[in-house]
Amino acid sequence: MKKILVAALGAGALVAFAGAAPATAASADNAMLSVLHGVPDLTVDVYVNGELTLDDFAPGDLAGPLELPAGTYTVAITAADAADASSPAIGPIDLPLEAGVNYTAVAHLSEAGDPTATLFTNDTTQIAAGQGRLTVRHVAAAPAVDVLAGGAPVITALANPQEAKLDLPAGTVSAAVAATGTTDPVLGPADVEVAEGANTIVYAWGSLEADNLELAVQTVAIAGMHSAPDSVPAGSAGLVATNGPDSGAPVWAAVIGGTLLAAIALIVGAARRRAAARAER
Amino acid sequence: MLRARVASGAKAASLAALAVLLLSVIVGCAPSAPPSASAVTTPASPRPAPKPEAIPDVPRTSASLAERPALSAPAPVRLVIPDLGIDVPVEAVGLDDQGRMGLPANPAIAAWYRFGSAPASATGSTVIAAHVDSLVYDIGPFARLAGAAAGTRVEVTTADGAVHAYAFTSTAVVAKESVDWSAAFARDGDPRLTLVTCGGEFDYDARRYLSNVIVTAAPVT
Repeated sequence: MKKILVAALGAGALVAFAGAAPATAASADNAMLSVLHGVPDLTVDVYVNGELTLDDFAPGDLAGPLELPAGTYTVAITAADAADASSPAIGPIDLPLEAGVNYTAVAHLSEAGDPTATLFTNDTTQIAAGQGRLTVRHVAAAPAVDVLAGGAPVITALANPQEAKLDLPAGTVSAAVAATGTTDPVLGPADVEVAEGANTIVYAWGSLEADNLELAVQTVAIAGMHSAPDSVPAGSAGLVATNGPDSGAPVWAAVIGGTLLAAIALIVGAARRRAAARAER
Repeated sequence: MLRARVASGAKAASLAALAVLLLSVIVGCAPSAPPSASAVTTPASPRPAPKPEAIPDVPRTSASLAERPALSAPAPVRLVIPDLGIDVPVEAVGLDDQGRMGLPANPAIAAWYRFGSAPASATGSTVIAAHVDSLVYDIGPFARLAGAAAGTRVEVTTADGAVHAYAFTSTAVVAKESVDWSAAFARDGDPRLTLVTCGGEFDYDARRYLSNVIVTAAPVT
């Protein structure tokens, strides 16, 4: 539905949101913000600084990322048929966004099942070549959980709305979520591809009691986050070298020469042994 | 891989239009006099102003794990440089146990760095490398890169059958300690192809070349 909206485009979040282009990297002066909707069965509208910014935002959807000037943004989340932001279902909450930082704001259920919102900071620090970062966020109406990879717990006692993260070799991880201290999955196992040089963020959302737990995933990669290989070793024979060995001869000559020397040494040695044997007689 | 999912062309265009409009508002905006004053004077207007355009077109996607898009574009499988008589298969590789790009031992098989960009990626450098030589396999096809002229055409076939054409823009022999690998393996910037092998002088004691031959090529039609 279309909301009644101010005709004027004054300064503020609406301007910032509308003027922001999708991007992956925050410039020095701006922040990056994504928004995840993790409240089951509730299509919402999202107001930023009083302006409708996400109309009919559906559960399980991810909006952004948007590049925004650093500053504090007030977010209110209403039912999708609300006329304005005056009686929000969640919030209003203030999101202080710092320049150069990558964030995800998540609308979700508390452990007790009440709608709430949490602002997470996405770790975009550099990752070693060949590695990926896996972040797990508990935003579900459920008690503390363990995260299992390949059946073994890699993250333990993660409670709503906490996160845990680790860097691991890039590739596919079979991930499952179980009540803490147990290995019987309440969610998964599911294959999660942990991208190299990026932060793969997995959200457990929904409600255990309502039996609608789900996994959402977000990939955050910004310039400079991955690492390049140390080098590219692409030759070992010297066959096309622009220099020669000390003699100036190419390497095969050195090899042949070395073989000849070894053969001569063998012959000479044998002759000496024969000579010595003769001398002993 | 890992690109931000970009709005459709139409969405992007409307975003851009909004950006221009709003930028002018910002630039010309005195913090006083919010122009909503006129709206206040006509509260009884039965016809609401047309608003849909004012709702920002924020890109949205499903975050469902099951609907996660493929992280990487189709892998290169073949590289052809007709003028140099090069026609080699391409394997996807990662790192060796020393953190270096891991190449097949056979110089006649090229390697694509699978963690980096691919030819169909929206941005970044597709890196394909091969050994220049080997005592077992002799001199490889990439030995011919060093002397190639700018404009030399390269065709990279990807696993989906698409052929991506490039033309050499530069060929350089760079001392290994001076190579800017973060640039060669960059995942941002214009799509491009970077070919790497070894060359220059050889250290006969350490059994290694002292330089890399690095070719950059830009997409052509």
